Amino acid sequence: MGRIVGIDLGTTNSLVAYVDAQTGQPRCITGPYGSTLCPSIVSLDPDGSVIVGEAARRRLLTQPERTIYSVKRLMGRGPADVQNELQLFPFRIDPQSKNVIRVMLGDKMFTPPEISAFILRELRNWAESYLEEPVDRAVITVPAYFNDAQRQATKDAGRIAGLEVLRLVNEPTAAALAYGLHEKQRGHVAVYDLGGGTFDISILKLISTSEGDIYQVLSTNGDTHLGGDDIDNLLQTFVHERIRETEDLDFSPHGELAQDLRKSLIAAKHELSEKESITLRFALPGGKTFVHNFSRADFEALIQNVVARTMGPVKQALADAHLAPAAIEEVVLVGGTTRTPLIRRTVQEFFGRKLHTELNPDEVVALGAAVQANILERGVSDMLLLDVTPLSLGIETYGGAVSKIIPRNSTIPASAQEQYTTGVDNQTGIDIHVLQGERELAKDCRSLARFTLKVPPAPAGLPRIEVGFLIDANGILQVAAKDMRTGEQHSIEVQPSYGINDTEIERMLEESIEYAEQDFAERQLIEARTESEAILSATTKALANPQSAEIPAAERSNIEAAVATLKQSVAGTNYKLIRKRIDELNHATEHLAELLMNSAVTTALAGRNLAEV
Amino acid sequence: MDGLEQKFLQFSWKLHPDNFVNTDEREREISLQRSSRLNDAYRVLRDPVARVEYLLELEGMRKEGEHKQQAPPELLEEVFELNESLDELREAKSAGANLDTLAAKLRAAEKNFGEKLHEVDAEMKTAAQQWDAALDANASESDREAILQRLNELLNRRSYIRNLVAGVEKELQGATC
Repeated sequence: MGRIVGIDLGTTNSLVAYVDAQTGQPRCITGPYGSTLCPSIVSLDPDGSVIVGEAARRRLLTQPERTIYSVKRLMGRGPADVQNELQLFPFRIDPQSKNVIRVMLGDKMFTPPEISAFILRELRNWAESYLEEPVDRAVITVPAYFNDAQRQATKDAGRIAGLEVLRLVNEPTAAALAYGLHEKQRGHVAVYDLGGGTFDISILKLISTSEGDIYQVLSTNGDTHLGGDDIDNLLQTFVHERIRETEDLDFSPHGELAQDLRKSLIAAKHELSEKESITLRFALPGGKTFVHNFSRADFEALIQNVVARTMGPVKQALADAHLAPAAIEEVVLVGGTTRTPLIRRTVQEFFGRKLHTELNPDEVVALGAAVQANILERGVSDMLLLDVTPLSLGIETYGGAVSKIIPRNSTIPASAQEQYTTGVDNQTGIDIHVLQGERELAKDCRSLARFTLKVPPAPAGLPRIEVGFLIDANGILQVAAKDMRTGEQHSIEVQPSYGINDTEIERMLEESIEYAEQDFAERQLIEARTESEAILSATTKALANPQSAEIPAAERSNIEAAVATLKQSVAGTNYKLIRKRIDELNHATEHLAELLMNSAVTTALAGRNLAEV
Repeated sequence: MDGLEQKFLQFSWKLHPDNFVNTDEREREISLQRSSRLNDAYRVLRDPVARVEYLLELEGMRKEGEHKQQAPPELLEEVFELNESLDELREAKSAGANLDTLAAKLRAAEKNFGEKLHEVDAEMKTAAQQWDAALDANASESDREAILQRLNELLNRRSYIRNLVAGVEKELQGATC
């Protein structure tokens, strides 16, 4: 079996992390562009290949109709749920979509889990290249306030990416895990997590026992559609209106112009976290330039509502934990959006505590996921996570009311048993509708599943069937039924209201392999060959350089020998051998590289091997 | 940390599914069942009201779906008054009249019943302690029966008052927005 990694599948950026066996500390893996952040952007090339991350970000401007961002907003949702998103996001949704949304990239359609799976595969590739080992299992984080359908969609994405998802961990809980490990702090901790598209608040109790440390979540609350995206949308609407006042311009969200503007506004937003005021300049078609002076005060007035919307859930979470703000000893900030000064001020004033921002708010969730992955990999541990279900589970009763059977903030796994019988003679089925949410009427709650309990024909009231509802450690619902008279277990086919079934997932898995994947060894071989090509051509060039005449003849023949053995290994298929020969050649050319670097021809370069000179 | 919490955490170390990720499916299933039962039990036992409900169910004093909903005699007068005010509020609402005076009156009543709820909770706590003491002292069956009766009454009174308060809250919400 391969390695287990921790993955933060974010709205804006995604990351992959692992625990270093030597130090026992979690670390994020750096991708090919030198950053640990992989933009959660997917683009479908006209040739059919899929491009993910930084390279896809560049295509947002050039091929917006083939490129998608913030797909997390669509996970586990139906077409009717996302009408608001369509106003400002360039999602092109297949009008034929029924329960599960299908998004168009070019002329092809994908479900949100399939698109998320492309991101997961990319991160898996990062991890496999870095660790030089196959990776086949993962812990993936989800917003704590994700409902059953959103969690199931995330798990499906993992399966489509060929990863066994060992656990879904709530993002604020993962952050607390990384934080607790780092600070060794105990007591009541609040995690305020405002990311690109989701907001979570979790209240935890960190307990030291003789067996080890326990991270017990007391309560959680949030909004799965509130985040930095909303700030970007406010800025965008604001500027669109200013420009419309003077120009006649089309700002449909699909247009290149809108994407270009959005990019500048995001940069402006980041800058306003550091500076008191900025001047926004944006080139308009026809040679004109839009200029606007933005002070931080203007910006804060604009986004005040977004910040205020986070405080309702914060108060509810505290009330559910039976704690006053002053009872919270530490406040941890997570998510890139918490860099906004207004948010820091608001949270600090509310709790009356200094905020913890030591850990990188972009990385802390992935680091925590890696810690949990490590706990699961080892099987036994001195750390235990006790999480809760964010939403009450209920069943529909007479008149469309909801009877709550597992209250929100119950520690998971949690279960409830309900007894059912028939109302008329020889009734063969009982309809059951399972819902999630806090409202009293079924129509106001989230429908999770509907199913019919099969009953053997009998006089009314005689059958006794117990239905067991169980929320597992991932926050996902399982249902089983038992005939109380015979003791017989019934398996129940639960068709999720907003999910994909197993057959579809299998098909998607096969298709996704066609899109991207070669197996691990094959990909390593391709990468090693590409790298050797680069170093071989750099070596040839260096040896042709007049400066190289200064190296001794013995050294030159050493280099030539290393070149020959590398060429030989490239003809084979052993990527490890190729890597070894590359290292040898790099070693042989160290002196030559130095020589060329020192010469007047080259500028200050930090690298030491020839390919970089 | 109280004894209940301590026990809960001890069992959690043993039963949590995290410990069984690398075992076979059967063991994983058993861990899932047991840890969910553990969590269910803790949820009931740490909540004073749910705990009493469970005790009464265990002792055969209370069956599911069997809840007495008549007003406790000592509250009759106040309940009558409250219902009258609620009717007036509904009428005033449909007539589009000014609701301020009525709303203030109802808020006062809500506060009054809220205090009564606290009283019942305190009485229930005392009765529950009496039950524990009776068990420890090996008290006679009739003594224990009497405490259970008392707990049952208190529970009924509590759920009655709670429904009243919830009803008032609902009407008042409609009156302010």
